[in-house]
Amino acid sequence: MNNNSIVRFISTFICFGIETALYLLKGGLKFYIWCFILLSLGGLVVIGGALQGYYGFIVTGLTDQVTWGLYLANFVFLVGVAAAAVTVVFPGYVYKHKEIKKVAVLGEMLAIAAVSMCMIFILFHMGRPDRLWHIFPGIGIFNWPNSMLTWDVVALNVYLALNVVCGFYYLYKKYMGEPTNDRWYIPLVYIACVWALSIHTVTAFLMNTMPTRPMWAHSILPIKFIITAFAAGPAFIIIAFSVIRNNTDLDIPDKVFHFLSQIVVWCLGIALFLTISELVTELYPGTEHSFSLVYTIMGKHGLTMIVPFFWTAMVFMVGSFILLLNPKIRKNLTILPYICLVAFVGIWLEKGMAFVLPGFNPSPIGEFSEYTPSIVEIINCIGTWAIGLFIFTILAKGAVGVLLGDIKYKEYPDS
Amino acid sequence: MKLFKITYTVAAATLAFFLSTGPVTDALADNTESDTPKTDCFESREGYTKVQRVEGDNEFDWPNIKCSDKTGGVLWWGDPFDGTEPMGEMPIEADYSHEEAVVKPRIPHLTYFMPCTACHNGETVPVPTSTKPRQLYMHQDIVPNSLDLKHGKGAIWCLNCHSAKNRDKLIDHFGNEISFNQPQKLCGKCHGQIYRDWRDGIHGKRTGSWRPNGKRRWWTCTECHNPHDMEPPFKQLEPEWAPELPRGMTNADHEQHHYPEDSGHGAGHDSPASGAGHGETKAGAGD
Amino acid sequence: MSDDIKKDRAEEPELTDQSRRSLFKTMGLGAASLAGAAALVTGSDDKAEARTTFAEFFQKNYRLMSEQEKKESVKRLETRYEEDYGRKVKVGYEPAEEGVLFGYALNIQKCIGCRRCVKACVKENNQSRHTTEIEWIRVIKLEKGQFSEAALTQGGYPGGDYGIQVGGNAYRNAGLILEGQHYYEPEKVPEKDSFYLPMQCMQCEKPPCVKVCPVRTTYRDPDGVVVIDYNWCIGCRMCMGACPYWARRFNFAHPTLPAKELNTDMHYLGNRPRVKGVVEKCHFCLQRTRKGRYTSCIEVCPVGARKFGNLLDPESEVRRILDRKRVFRLKAEFNTYPKFFYFVD
Repeated sequence: MNNNSIVRFISTFICFGIETALYLLKGGLKFYIWCFILLSLGGLVVIGGALQGYYGFIVTGLTDQVTWGLYLANFVFLVGVAAAAVTVVFPGYVYKHKEIKKVAVLGEMLAIAAVSMCMIFILFHMGRPDRLWHIFPGIGIFNWPNSMLTWDVVALNVYLALNVVCGFYYLYKKYMGEPTNDRWYIPLVYIACVWALSIHTVTAFLMNTMPTRPMWAHSILPIKFIITAFAAGPAFIIIAFSVIRNNTDLDIPDKVFHFLSQIVVWCLGIALFLTISELVTELYPGTEHSFSLVYTIMGKHGLTMIVPFFWTAMVFMVGSFILLLNPKIRKNLTILPYICLVAFVGIWLEKGMAFVLPGFNPSPIGEFSEYTPSIVEIINCIGTWAIGLFIFTILAKGAVGVLLGDIKYKEYPDS
Repeated sequence: MKLFKITYTVAAATLAFFLSTGPVTDALADNTESDTPKTDCFESREGYTKVQRVEGDNEFDWPNIKCSDKTGGVLWWGDPFDGTEPMGEMPIEADYSHEEAVVKPRIPHLTYFMPCTACHNGETVPVPTSTKPRQLYMHQDIVPNSLDLKHGKGAIWCLNCHSAKNRDKLIDHFGNEISFNQPQKLCGKCHGQIYRDWRDGIHGKRTGSWRPNGKRRWWTCTECHNPHDMEPPFKQLEPEWAPELPRGMTNADHEQHHYPEDSGHGAGHDSPASGAGHGETKAGAGD
Repeated sequence: MSDDIKKDRAEEPELTDQSRRSLFKTMGLGAASLAGAAALVTGSDDKAEARTTFAEFFQKNYRLMSEQEKKESVKRLETRYEEDYGRKVKVGYEPAEEGVLFGYALNIQKCIGCRRCVKACVKENNQSRHTTEIEWIRVIKLEKGQFSEAALTQGGYPGGDYGIQVGGNAYRNAGLILEGQHYYEPEKVPEKDSFYLPMQCMQCEKPPCVKVCPVRTTYRDPDGVVVIDYNWCIGCRMCMGACPYWARRFNFAHPTLPAKELNTDMHYLGNRPRVKGVVEKCHFCLQRTRKGRYTSCIEVCPVGARKFGNLLDPESEVRRILDRKRVFRLKAEFNTYPKFFYFVD
């Protein structure tokens, strides 16, 4: 690359940015209402964040007994969603599935949005977000490789970078009407695919390397996390693709949906299998290590906060699995997104509410207590989801514009 | 029903939050604890070794003690050696330095020391001729029934410990007198094992320096034990406040349930039966 | 040590201001706005927070500070605390003594569950008093229970011929999880059918909390005490998740600490008042023990169940207990090697 080409790259990339921004402003009433709702909900985090920043965590429902709450539950779930971008990237690039490759970039956009949400949730989870710089290598102390959390920081940030580079490079090249430079682009995509697995694995390691919390401390956790993520992620992608197909000119072939719904159903099946393995392993011997699980499933000592979440999750997961097993229903693209929504919510409940939270009950010294999320926590979670969905909407709309050719580089004679 | 519960919980949480933001701000300015610190306190067992809280003018701006608002027990000593004096003549086996071992003299805290020989001088009260147990009609506030002394289970009596001739002193096996300020010498004559542990710092309490040769206050036997009533050896105390419940919890009733009798939902016949069983257990133990 | 601090303060009155100014210069406007934003986020109205100076905000991790930086940092803290609480305070930074490894022994047979250690700890270590109350020691009541003939027909495996004896903890396995009561509130203790188990930070030799800390704000000092630099803690609460003994507490709000109850003798790693959003725990009363005094809980225990000393000194009380008594540690299977022992006579 000589000097000239660098200048050209920068100038054209700026054009790409400006044109995309202009394109984003154009949209139908539905788009504006959707964005308005998301932004108003997202604005709630300003109130919630200010309250939490001002008063401290006392405005949350967290206690010394249950120190990780909704924020971390959502974080863990969303890491999975981010990782699940691989379910469209991998078949597109490794299996050379043509139709999927065309829209694979949307998966990367979803990954970017999900990782952004993860980061907001982590900031909310931190007691001292103002001291975030303490973890930056160089100016702070980065306790790598000892602290599993630092592994997670590395995994998530590199994953974000990989997706930003791959996603935007692909879109930029599409915008320029040039082919991608596969010499480095394809290896990078492959790395991103493997890395996707690593982010959720490391998040699982974050939890299952704590023997103090027997509910989490088993080696089934990483694979269970990945499997549930690979059910929830494609489920969300199916919903997103349906919305895009119904509202834009982008033609996403039925084949893509069929492919994704198969991933959802098999991953749901394996997830249920792993759940059963876990239940039998823990409940049959009935040691004290199973108390957290007993608390989750039936309640313990009359404390039953998590029970409805667990059973709702089970009903949703089993229900959607059984429905999706039937090829007629699975291939009915009108119903599919709704079933996927049920599966998505089910996995959110199972992973977040019914897995992260009960891990703290009983406490290491045997105390049971109930954690009730406060209104501020709920506000912040809703707001963060809205921000994440807004980011995804914007990224997806821009990407669709590029894929459709609506955003296209026009060579001016003088440049 | 479950759904209702969730809705209710969310609503309650909302309400609780809006109600709680007020108290949060109030709490920051709330100084109730410091406004009227308890000044009339006791050190180890209730009724013995009373101390008054005095606001200090020392290097750390400390009071001499801080006490529990609930029980009046001393929770904190500014100067652990306040009101102490060297323990004095020590048992020869011990390997501590004499100067660094201090005690709080017991005599000022004794109920009837004015001194004892004011009455027990051989004239007002004659010197007893026999050390055999007999019914006493004095000091019944200390020993309600002299024929049923709650120490030694009938093996010993008053004059095995109190000098018959000099009532201001205690007495060892050989008839040597022991000061009331050094009860350990007396107790050690029977409780050899405990005495050894006490000497080595395993039994009993010390305050001051943790260094083996450092200055520290040795708490003597009678500061914790009532020699006239050793059943039980340490009298029951009023406990301090329970910890705050985890926020969001209104009671700790769940602690009363026990594995395996509780079945989570309190389903069916299990709960009431186990509840009754529990009650019986308690009542039985209380008898 | 405290005299040294005083002397230095007299000799170098300009020091902190200068360094603060130079910090400003180097950090520039960006840093200032960052700190400003941080102050806004963390509640600028909060007295202590507002006075957290830029220098304090940008100070290093305590372990990396030079002697000079430690002095400056301690002086900043003293100024802030004196303004906040209107009382003269001393923040010490005594390092671990050579040849000392602190150990603790608790006679579980003696404990009567009166919770005086809990409250004494609160008073000594400037913990938040209420909403939310922070207590580093938790006393668990364990019921002895009893066997009963009536229980023979209850529960058990299908068939019900051989029931499960539903006594208290004495007759049931209490391994990882203890079915105890934390919130017991009887008229008098000890109760006849119960015994008590106090727990606090075990000062592990292999502390899981230190391992998981992403910023190394918590670490083990040479005298065996696991300490926290409250100014470096980011409040991620990984350590709280990892601790097998539930020793760590989080400042959910700015601590409520009446000025009159403030303990003015402090240690940087010990009992100095904390801010909201950081984790704290028992540190064997560093401000006392590093000057040779017993911890607060030792001094207050009315039954003398608590013992403390130097594990490297064969003549110390705690070593004598290890030599002579039956000793065990909690959750030995976690391989944390606590320096907190339980024993019976």
